[in-house]
Amino acid sequence: MRRRTLLLSGLTAAGALLVGVAALPPRSRLGRPGSLPPREGELGLNAWIKIEAESGDVLLAMPRSEMGQGVHTALAQLVAEELRLPLERVRLIPAGYESLYGNVAMFVGQLPLAPQHTEPGQESRLARLAQWSVAKLARELGVNATGGSSSVADAWEPLRWAAATARQQLLGAASLQWGQALAELQLEQGWVSHAIGQRAHYGELARAAAATPPGEVSLTPPEAWRLIGRPAPRRDVPAKVDGSARFGIDQRPPGLLYAAIRQAPMLGGSPGAVDAGAALRLPDVLRLVRLPPYAGSVPALAVVARNSWRAQQAAQALEVQWQGRPAGALDGERIAEQLREAARRAAAGGGLAFRSAGDAAAQLARPLAEGERLVEALYEAPYLAHATLEPMNCTAQVKDGRVTLWLPTQVPGLARALAARVAGVDESAVEVHVSYLGGGFGRRLEVDLVGQAVRVALETGGAPVQLLWSREEDFRHDFYRPAGAAFCRARLDAQGRPQALLVGSAGDAISPRWMERVLPALSSRFEAPDKTTAEGLLDHPYALAHQRIAHEATHSGVPVGFWRSVGHSHNAFFMESFVDELAHAAGRDPLDFRLQWLDAALPRHAAVLRLAAEKAGWGQALPPGVARGLALHESFGSIVAQVLELRLAPDGQPRVLRVVCALDCGLVVNPAIVERQMESAIIFGLSAALWGRIDIGPEGVVRQSGFADYPLLSLAQTPRIETHVLASTNPPSGVGEPGVPPVAPALANALFALTGERRRRLPLWG
Amino acid sequence: MELKINGELKTLPEHARDPAMPLLWALRDGLDLTGTKFGCGVAACGACTVQVDGEARRSCVTPLASVAGRAITTIEGLGPDHALQRAWVAHQVPQCGYCQSGMLMAAAALLRKNRKPSDAEIDAAITNLCRCGTYPRVRAAIHAAAAQLAGAKA
Repeated sequence: MRRRTLLLSGLTAAGALLVGVAALPPRSRLGRPGSLPPREGELGLNAWIKIEAESGDVLLAMPRSEMGQGVHTALAQLVAEELRLPLERVRLIPAGYESLYGNVAMFVGQLPLAPQHTEPGQESRLARLAQWSVAKLARELGVNATGGSSSVADAWEPLRWAAATARQQLLGAASLQWGQALAELQLEQGWVSHAIGQRAHYGELARAAAATPPGEVSLTPPEAWRLIGRPAPRRDVPAKVDGSARFGIDQRPPGLLYAAIRQAPMLGGSPGAVDAGAALRLPDVLRLVRLPPYAGSVPALAVVARNSWRAQQAAQALEVQWQGRPAGALDGERIAEQLREAARRAAAGGGLAFRSAGDAAAQLARPLAEGERLVEALYEAPYLAHATLEPMNCTAQVKDGRVTLWLPTQVPGLARALAARVAGVDESAVEVHVSYLGGGFGRRLEVDLVGQAVRVALETGGAPVQLLWSREEDFRHDFYRPAGAAFCRARLDAQGRPQALLVGSAGDAISPRWMERVLPALSSRFEAPDKTTAEGLLDHPYALAHQRIAHEATHSGVPVGFWRSVGHSHNAFFMESFVDELAHAAGRDPLDFRLQWLDAALPRHAAVLRLAAEKAGWGQALPPGVARGLALHESFGSIVAQVLELRLAPDGQPRVLRVVCALDCGLVVNPAIVERQMESAIIFGLSAALWGRIDIGPEGVVRQSGFADYPLLSLAQTPRIETHVLASTNPPSGVGEPGVPPVAPALANALFALTGERRRRLPLWG
Repeated sequence: MELKINGELKTLPEHARDPAMPLLWALRDGLDLTGTKFGCGVAACGACTVQVDGEARRSCVTPLASVAGRAITTIEGLGPDHALQRAWVAHQVPQCGYCQSGMLMAAAALLRKNRKPSDAEIDAAITNLCRCGTYPRVRAAIHAAAAQLAGAKA
């Protein structure tokens, strides 16, 4: 039992450990072949796997969306491993809509647990119980979502079990047909054979296998892996270098029409009187459609035309009397002030204390003795846009009582449910084709476009229509990364050791707003505790006898959503900047200070930090005018440390020269993908840390509307990036997001090392 | 109206031949050549980069009238086996992939003029935006393709 639990993922660890209390073993997600109906020439073995009779190729039901994170390759590797097949012979087919394909690990990851409770294999009883309960709930909900850096963690057990079970059925079928003992059969490259010469490929055995019980099933042990842990090439790459990869915007069903949108310039505004005369007189413009709000969208106007350019021109030509937000205009400055106040309240004993020990307030109030220090600081972060390079789009057709959607989405099932509601049909009458996503980063966990596109498609007489937002609409009507603030206070003893820590943070809760938008039936008036903007503080890895980490969840009215690494994206900046401030106040080296302060029960954190420092040459001399900063942060189950080298140009502009990244993400399925995800996250995080800001003017208008005022890091500005992965036998944890959070504090800490200036507000420049 | 695209004369359909229409939309909505992407509409991101007479051009701000009779190359006409595409696969450059057509077209235009670009020359020529952060791999793949082309010449 003990040894096996080491192999289990965060989710199924909980289930397996509690087997006997309630049954949630990994195999409960195996499903039946009926969930994946076979077509002519195919045979289904379970809900994940079909075999093509003629070729013997394996068809894998793929519920997760490919947005550059490599999930289509990594999940296929798991299946190819257990079925002893070359990777290219596992072909992907879309999974259906059954709850079986829901993402369980993503929901389990929402639990507000400190790392002391969640170390793999040493989970506390509390953590196990909570994880089991949430897993059970998530399994019932069955929401198919690609997000929360959870795809591999979620698939790790169920997919390998599904493939291993299919393998045993194929072997069993051969054993029965040939009258040979199972143990004497060989399995290689999709062929089953026996020493005396009998030989059959999977396709030839599949029909019998479907009727053969699997018998004893075990997973391939790590020492026998040929694919897991190797850098298999990404299967989506060839189509992405010759222009043939189809994104949402590239869907071209016959008879396609094109729509553009016009939404109020201010957040929460809506169109009043409209003069569409000039717009409708443009050639190839067909009609105007008024759109009610859907899933968080604002009331809007859409114009249908025979091409996207005309549709956009016509949308711009509409003369609209805009009406302001009914509850009053949003004002970014005022919200920032309210966040600062809320953070101070939380630090002064208010808010929800996600974590507390001893009596931090009393310890901080005690008079200072000789050599003791009190350190306090207020940090702030702005709203941010996702800015996926593929602008928001959805293609819809409503014809003969059926709805067809083609879209780049992270939540196909939720898209389907909304399309059915808008079109007034049963969900079974809606078909969703998920394309490649030209970036997701959380923006495509939303379904606002689905409601809008289906509404337009109800007006086009059965013709499919592609709704495409302009870049300006994308920036002005995002579901933004919430702004946040944190007030931190700590007491250092005469030896410079932290004795008490008080953190009060504030930010808009994301999950309840998202639930209201995409799962309205399940959202309630009761606002459950939500950690989305508290994560990254409550789960810090440092040891303290006295601490109170509290958060006030706010509700500003600004549309907020999940943004790559969610609350960690700014809370890591708050926490790791403050830790750096403490180190300097204590007169200690930031690396040594962290290593001494880290909880001894979390040796992986120290190991990751040491690895990054060693590879970066921490402590070694740098050229004049260059300094290093470091940061350590755990998110999505993975621990990442980064050491960043910074130089300032004569005009004060930053030049990040090098980022050394070390991480522990459990077992690595595909190291080439992990390395690229770290590069991706660091570059994404640098854009935000350097310049990223969405400002909401006093009239409620978002000031940024394009890449000119929301700059992204360019190739010329990209530092050298080196990634080092700590070997691990723990189950895989997140990779897509955990590289983002440490970048901002590493940059701020490098700036302090270079200039002595402490910047406590993001972005650090601009 | 006809355009010379990827070595072939293509007739634009009626709804995609306004001389003021940006080339991007004629390609995508008129000819279903969807490899060229829309990212911003104001030449800021480079997702729409094509080549006109061998020069990189941002097709979202290139009116049809300005390219009549000129040789247009899109990602569909780059390969199928261009040294850059091979290098892109070998270095596993793309992530989401949306900016990659434009990246490749800009890189191909660079290599036409400069067989062995330095890092600084790559910095200056490749101003396309990538939200996934594939830049380090883009740089490495351009160097690899240049080296491969130089080797083939030798």
